[in-house]
Amino acid sequence: MPTSYHIVVCGSIVPDPLQTLEPVTTPTGPALKNELLLPAVLDPWAGHALFEAAHLAKQHPGSKVWLVSIGPKAKLQQVMMTVAQKVPFELIAIDGPAGGFTESAEIAAALAEAIQGLPGLDKSRLLVFGGWESATRGAGTTLQMVGERLGIVDQFQGVDQLTVRPDGSFQVLERIEGGRHQVSSCGALPALCGWATGNLPEPPNNPQVGMLNMRTVMPALQRAKPTKISNEGVTFPSVSLPKQRRETKIVKDMPPDDIAREIVEWIGKE
Amino acid sequence: MNVDIVCVGFGPAMGGFLTTLSRQLVKEDGTPLVESAATPGLPPQVICYERADDIGFGVSGVVTPARSIKTSFPQLDPAQIPLAAPVKHEKIAYLLDPVGASRRSASLRIADALIRAGRWALPYEHNALNLPWVPPFLRKHDGLVLSLGQFMQWVGAQVMGSGTVQVWPSMPVASPLFEDGKVAGVRLADQGTDRKGQPADGFMAGMDIRAALTVIGDGPVGPVGRQLDEKFGLPAGHHQHDWAVGMKFVVDLPPHADLEPGTVFHTFGYPEPEIFGFMYVHPGRIASLGIFVPSWFDNPVRTAYRYLQHWMLHPYLWRHLKGGTLRSWGAKSLQESGRGGEPHLAGDGYVRIGEGSGSTNLLTGSGIDEAWATGSLLAEGVIELLQAGQPFTRENLEQAYVRRRRESWVEKEGRIAEKARDGFQRGVVTGLLGMGLTGLSGGRLHLPGKPLPPHRRVPSVEAYYRGRIPPDEIARLRAECTAKGTGLHSALMDRVGWPTIPFDGKLLVSHQDALLTGGKVQAPAGYADHVVFIDEGACARCGTKICIDACSGQAITPGPNGVPAFDREKCIHCGACLWNCSQPHPTDPGRTNVEFRAGAGGLHSAEN
Amino acid sequence: METILFLAHTESDGSLGQAALESLAAARTLAAGLTGSTLIAGLVGGSVQSAADQIAGCGATRILGVAAADFASSRYSTDVVAVEALARAAAATIVIAPATSRWNRVLAGAAQRLDGRIDAHATGITAADGKPGLTRWYYRQRMEAVVQRTRRPWFILLEAGCAAAWNGPAGTAAVESVAAPLTDANRRTIVTGVQAPPTDQQTIRPDAKLLFVAGAGWTKAQPDGKAHSVEAEEIILDFLGKTKASLGSTKSLVDLSGEGQAVLKFMTHLNQVGQTGSTPRHPKGLATCCHGEEPHTVGWRFINERRAINLNPNCSWAQGKADVLYVADAFVVMRKVNALLAAK
Repeated sequence: MPTSYHIVVCGSIVPDPLQTLEPVTTPTGPALKNELLLPAVLDPWAGHALFEAAHLAKQHPGSKVWLVSIGPKAKLQQVMMTVAQKVPFELIAIDGPAGGFTESAEIAAALAEAIQGLPGLDKSRLLVFGGWESATRGAGTTLQMVGERLGIVDQFQGVDQLTVRPDGSFQVLERIEGGRHQVSSCGALPALCGWATGNLPEPPNNPQVGMLNMRTVMPALQRAKPTKISNEGVTFPSVSLPKQRRETKIVKDMPPDDIAREIVEWIGKE
Repeated sequence: MNVDIVCVGFGPAMGGFLTTLSRQLVKEDGTPLVESAATPGLPPQVICYERADDIGFGVSGVVTPARSIKTSFPQLDPAQIPLAAPVKHEKIAYLLDPVGASRRSASLRIADALIRAGRWALPYEHNALNLPWVPPFLRKHDGLVLSLGQFMQWVGAQVMGSGTVQVWPSMPVASPLFEDGKVAGVRLADQGTDRKGQPADGFMAGMDIRAALTVIGDGPVGPVGRQLDEKFGLPAGHHQHDWAVGMKFVVDLPPHADLEPGTVFHTFGYPEPEIFGFMYVHPGRIASLGIFVPSWFDNPVRTAYRYLQHWMLHPYLWRHLKGGTLRSWGAKSLQESGRGGEPHLAGDGYVRIGEGSGSTNLLTGSGIDEAWATGSLLAEGVIELLQAGQPFTRENLEQAYVRRRRESWVEKEGRIAEKARDGFQRGVVTGLLGMGLTGLSGGRLHLPGKPLPPHRRVPSVEAYYRGRIPPDEIARLRAECTAKGTGLHSALMDRVGWPTIPFDGKLLVSHQDALLTGGKVQAPAGYADHVVFIDEGACARCGTKICIDACSGQAITPGPNGVPAFDREKCIHCGACLWNCSQPHPTDPGRTNVEFRAGAGGLHSAEN
Repeated sequence: METILFLAHTESDGSLGQAALESLAAARTLAAGLTGSTLIAGLVGGSVQSAADQIAGCGATRILGVAAADFASSRYSTDVVAVEALARAAAATIVIAPATSRWNRVLAGAAQRLDGRIDAHATGITAADGKPGLTRWYYRQRMEAVVQRTRRPWFILLEAGCAAAWNGPAGTAAVESVAAPLTDANRRTIVTGVQAPPTDQQTIRPDAKLLFVAGAGWTKAQPDGKAHSVEAEEIILDFLGKTKASLGSTKSLVDLSGEGQAVLKFMTHLNQVGQTGSTPRHPKGLATCCHGEEPHTVGWRFINERRAINLNPNCSWAQGKADVLYVADAFVVMRKVNALLAAK
């Protein structure tokens, strides 16, 4: 097993999770109302994947981290000014849509092509990382297709931990039902991990890391190739916000004893 | 870390600076204008640090003449900038009190009665009097209605796309680096600390960024600019006693609203005579609207949020707003001393630009245009010094920047406006007359007034409500509110007859909802509290606790032993606590008992 | 004319789980709605006969099986071969599978192998005007779309709880064994087991009748000006112990650990409910000390009855998100709730 890694993180940008989202219909399919106005952030799970990648690379000198990102160039540039302060990576930017209604198979094709084209990439040391789902499409289907296109059959999803053992093999904890983790070990690369939250805190903003990353971020954005996502064969007869408004009974001035009694009664009711 | 120029705060002034500078750092043939001293072989390294989590977060929406912006972008097409529109219609309205709770002087009551009596003959509609004409000094025709957030994001994309400057958001600057009376750069905020600033998990000491020139554009409450003022003082005769907090909503107007993009309303007279309002209509049936609560509004329960709701509910505005939905919300302090509050503009190794440098025009109520212009002027001066190989000494900066500024329209118009608002120190009617006098006489006349620091103006709650609420009832309300952990203002306003706000969950939402759904307020972990109560004894003795009522984000609440508690996750960095505080600083009577330090987080909306 | 493959894996006891039976019901309904379509069942597991017998009466024209020790556990490298083989053997145009962690991991890879397309987090499958369609979430449950596709094969992962489980008669099924050839390269990943917190510390209980959600308010200063995190922990754990409720949390609470603040020690990101957390399914949910903002409550989509305790009567729960909002101090109320439960 190798002692250093080539880690490629796939991750795009998403609307800042606190924003109010509303769908609209455009000639090219559904989109977000006022999409341009919404602040964007790095997809949260992809962010965890990036931080885990950087952490692993730091522990294994000689490793390298790439971030492959598809998104509108101007928005990518803006988000990178925050992300680039966190951990060292080399950006591979692809100018394209980052919305949720894009076809995951087509996004996967574009990502795989970009990864195949990375100069000096050593597949025997390759770990493909990403978020196990995006916060846009929210499907959890892209990474597997990237992996298939790259010929990777050791794939893990909902990963919360990856531990490299002294012999170079690694153990992976994947989220499964009931708040539990499935434990697997794998003795070979390449492999792919779709990360859930992981265990690392968000790294602080480091100005030196930012300056270092900028040497590749701006050139990468300048040469970002446009990619067309056609959404061939998909139609969306409707896109709507869920209507789940309830009639809320607001109980004020009820003594805590009575509230407690009411709650206990409610819990006990079948 | 060494760079050539370090900049603090990415607001409109810095936008003007970096736009102008970035175009000239590299020559047309791709070679550097001059070689970087910090990184030889490269063009000058220019870095800007911005506190907010992204550029364009938390800045306010505006109507601006946009003269300087159009100079920087002669081909500017508003259609390229979301929410931008050319100004089309301007109106000023005097709002009467439709609910009977407003605290109006006898003279205003008489005026109101006369207006109501003659309403058939006057341009009166919906409890308001439309002023027949907009004084020339207030007109913004040929200007732009902008979301400053969207505009700054657009500017950020332009300047960073040049590849010659870097703007790093989410990076608060803690302080200037002072060395032998010079400024040698800045120190960034510590990360990975507990709330008191002590190292905790993942501690990273704030890095020193050393630079030949430090450009400070961190606004009126920015900690770097304020520390410079504390160190070097203000020029003789200058003061920064006048402030206002501006609070606003960005609203999706209801389908029936037929206001054309570029429509601008300004209001005065309601909910209290001292409170001014504005509404600017953007494209896409979106409007920015809000109020200004000035420091000379001698009310110890200055809750901008509730007043804003009463203002929206005024029939003159509600006819346009009813059925609308809140998109975004925010607040900001405005430095209202203008030219009279100008600090030292340049010193060895540093310069000041923008609102914190006293560029706001008090007569025209314009600040963005002026701030942008000061940045552009600085860039011209910096290019001149770089090309000449001159160091950034006070003398050189005076010559290259301050001289340009003194010769500019910003200075000429700022001088005219300098005393325009002094009359407000004596009351709102005097203030309005004074402004009119100054505006119509081209600055030759004004009505005098002596600006005082807010902590010397604010009356006690008991004094303010004398004759309306007995002191023992105030004491009872205060005890009840403290027990509930809430501010006092709502209870007092209810008591004196302000109606209950009919929350609809869309536009009339609770203050908490405005934070969460409108402002999307958050704070990243690992930073120290940036609002600090210096002398806790003074807080315990303070009767008004105005910081709690004035806090735009409900981030300051009653705390143990009478000392307010600060929750930085709710802070929107408006800085109102800094100047609203009614207690003087223990050693510096020019300051208050609140320290507003560098902090991360705040609003997460770029629509303001 | 669609060929619909209902795809399921066996549980550890060899049977089909509830989610699988729900997907089967959805597949049957779709097949019934599309004239001339065929329903085929495809099963994966160490042994699939008893699972096949369980659904012998489901009306599938064929029951295909990939069974061997290699397919007993949930592993991408072998599951992808099994799913590919079943879909090819069935010549499936539509594959409907329950959104279990096992199928969520592998189905997209299989779709890629067959040059198909996939939709996940489907909440309903319909046949309108002879065309199959589905409803699914976008933007982490904040938008719902109806999707139709012309491209085949079309893989669909159906969320649990979105269809009534099929409960037809068992019988004896004839399983057509489908070859899913493996090489050593498919066996490099070894599943070594499952890691779960000890029972007494287990706070996530997917089958619980009640979801109890704690918000950041539990760790904030109380009326005496001090935080009471230790007491909050005691109250919450006591309640969970007595009711066997599942514990959820807001993002702000789990994030507080980075703040150097007193936090509830048993909370992890796994407890987080909402846009960047989970969307659990429980008949009832009780929210305490959280404000009910949109990114959090998107995780409450599948909580039927909702009550909340919050000091702020104008909090977001009041805006049509909860059935009942008690304006009260959760410390006081929950202490009394625990006392009443103890006295029971």
